[in-house]
Amino acid sequence: MCCLVSKKSIVGFLNIRLVCEFMAILDAIDGFRVMEGLLLLTVFTGFVGLLLRRNLFLKVMGMDVMGTGVISFFVLVAARSGFRTPILDGNAVVLDGRDWADPIPQAVILTAVVIGLSIQALLLVAITRLASVDPSLDGVQLDQLGRD
Amino acid sequence: MPLFSLMSWNPSGSGLTIAWLLLPFLAAFLAALLPRLARPLILLVVASTLAMALAARLGWLPSELLLLGPLGVRLQVDPLASPLLLLAALVSAAVLVEGWGRDPDKPFLLLLLLLQGGIHSAIVASDLISIYVAQEVVGISTFLLLVQGNRAPQLWIGLRYLLIGNSVMLLYLLGAALVYREQSSFALEGLEQSSGIALALLLVALFTKAELFISGLWLPRTNAVAPAAVSALISGGVVCAGLAPLLRIAAAVESVGPLLRWIGLASALLGLVFALAERRVARLLAWSTISQMGMVLLVPAAGGLYALAHGLAKAALFLVSERLPAVSLDAWRAQALPWRHGAPLLLASLSIAGSPPLLGFLAKEQLSVGLAGPQAGLLPIAVLLLSVGTAAVYARLWRLPSNAAMEKEGKPASPGARLLVAALLLLNLTPWALEAWSTLMGQGMTNALLKSAGLLLAGFGLQRLWPKGANGFRLPDLEGFDDLLGGGALMGTALMLLLSR
Repeated sequence: MCCLVSKKSIVGFLNIRLVCEFMAILDAIDGFRVMEGLLLLTVFTGFVGLLLRRNLFLKVMGMDVMGTGVISFFVLVAARSGFRTPILDGNAVVLDGRDWADPIPQAVILTAVVIGLSIQALLLVAITRLASVDPSLDGVQLDQLGRD
Repeated sequence: MPLFSLMSWNPSGSGLTIAWLLLPFLAAFLAALLPRLARPLILLVVASTLAMALAARLGWLPSELLLLGPLGVRLQVDPLASPLLLLAALVSAAVLVEGWGRDPDKPFLLLLLLLQGGIHSAIVASDLISIYVAQEVVGISTFLLLVQGNRAPQLWIGLRYLLIGNSVMLLYLLGAALVYREQSSFALEGLEQSSGIALALLLVALFTKAELFISGLWLPRTNAVAPAAVSALISGGVVCAGLAPLLRIAAAVESVGPLLRWIGLASALLGLVFALAERRVARLLAWSTISQMGMVLLVPAAGGLYALAHGLAKAALFLVSERLPAVSLDAWRAQALPWRHGAPLLLASLSIAGSPPLLGFLAKEQLSVGLAGPQAGLLPIAVLLLSVGTAAVYARLWRLPSNAAMEKEGKPASPGARLLVAALLLLNLTPWALEAWSTLMGQGMTNALLKSAGLLLAGFGLQRLWPKGANGFRLPDLEGFDDLLGGGALMGTALMLLLSR
């Protein structure tokens, strides 16, 4: 039992050390740039999925991955000035030197989240209807529909 | 509550503008509850938009409106927006009278109101986020209009439109985030200093919305499958929503001018070549739209008037072509063409080809005035050749209407097309055109008239001499779903390479 606990704590400790070291590396090479790169990569991955998948449903999922990347990017941009949630407590002073997050990108992206959700719902409804034409939802097959 | 505080009247401008922007959405809500009211409500919205367009043209309104502080919503009801608003209002009115007998319980009219609201916002919005929201409203309502018939091809075409539209708008949003990161503002002025990648992401989305070059390749199949009323709305109204932000960016960012010219030229050429090879009427009109939108981009300052003249004529052509039985051009030439269809058809296509005294002539003249200058180089000549090509494209539709044929049979005249063609003639006498006419008179009318006659004759001759062998020439099919996505990716990459500084 003790052995197990100690093993676990050692593993946990090692993990924490690893995370700390990783954070140190991140600090050295500017964590924001890394995060930014990863999020841009997410958007790119989503687009590649949209482009390469034949199944219509997976295409819509690819679009969703793109959307996730873009939304997270906005959140990251908002966090540049700090992580503190920009909610005022009564008559608190705003410019008190504390690290507030930028509320503008957060407010803006809220609209985009709602729009993205509703568009996805519409797309999925259309896909459900198209499933009666081609249950495999093959984009290449369905593309014959618009041709004459 | 904030709504009412915003509307607490200062009648000199902002309250009026906001009330006008809200009107279509409130009307749509009302029309959902009381469908019988839909038609008068659309007329009310059209009337209010005509009034706003006139006020914007004459400078009666403050041209810029800042809501919710410097980082908030920015609206510009300015002379740039004026012709586009006029176009959107007239096309909506034409679609309404075209289907006057339409069952008001069906959602078409409701969606038309929503689309109107979206288009108005997209035309006057002038900060990146308002533009995004308005584009998405337009996209969703266009999708819903496209799938009204509930047939499988319409569903597929609608889905394709929405999926591609939303994907490029996500790229747009990414571009907006990059601009904000660099400039701490969503204002268009910041674009001048922002990085090329951000600008490229914004432009690739707007090119898709404005039906330009390879980003606009979704249009032909969409127009072929959509009902004529929806096609008319797409080429007359929806395209304005994409064009207005592009024209605003062109005005705000000087360095992007040459790039837009090249894209415009490429789009004009691509659309023209495909229109000359096309064998179906609706698709020919769509290819011609891609070509004409390219021309709009050549001189952004004259673009509003050009888009107005083109949109009116193109919507009329769609409405008339639905009333004729022929779908393919071969059958088109064989069918009898009574005057009631032939007259609006000829007038509208002559306007796009640039024949006086229609509005298209004035728009073409404005374009060549805008192009003249020492740095223009070979551009005026290229535009001249493209104009000959345009005349040749429409010469494929021309034939003399006959009086005797089909006078009794066939569908009655299209009231919507009549309205639009009347607008093409009568708008010459309004503030949108009078100034341009008077400058044209000052520069010598004879030259312009001779040039126009020469262009039309050359185009007609080109069409006559065109090899009739079999199908003319075959061009690759670029309109598959994956081609559209790939085209967008190519366009985005090319823009990033060109704009990286």
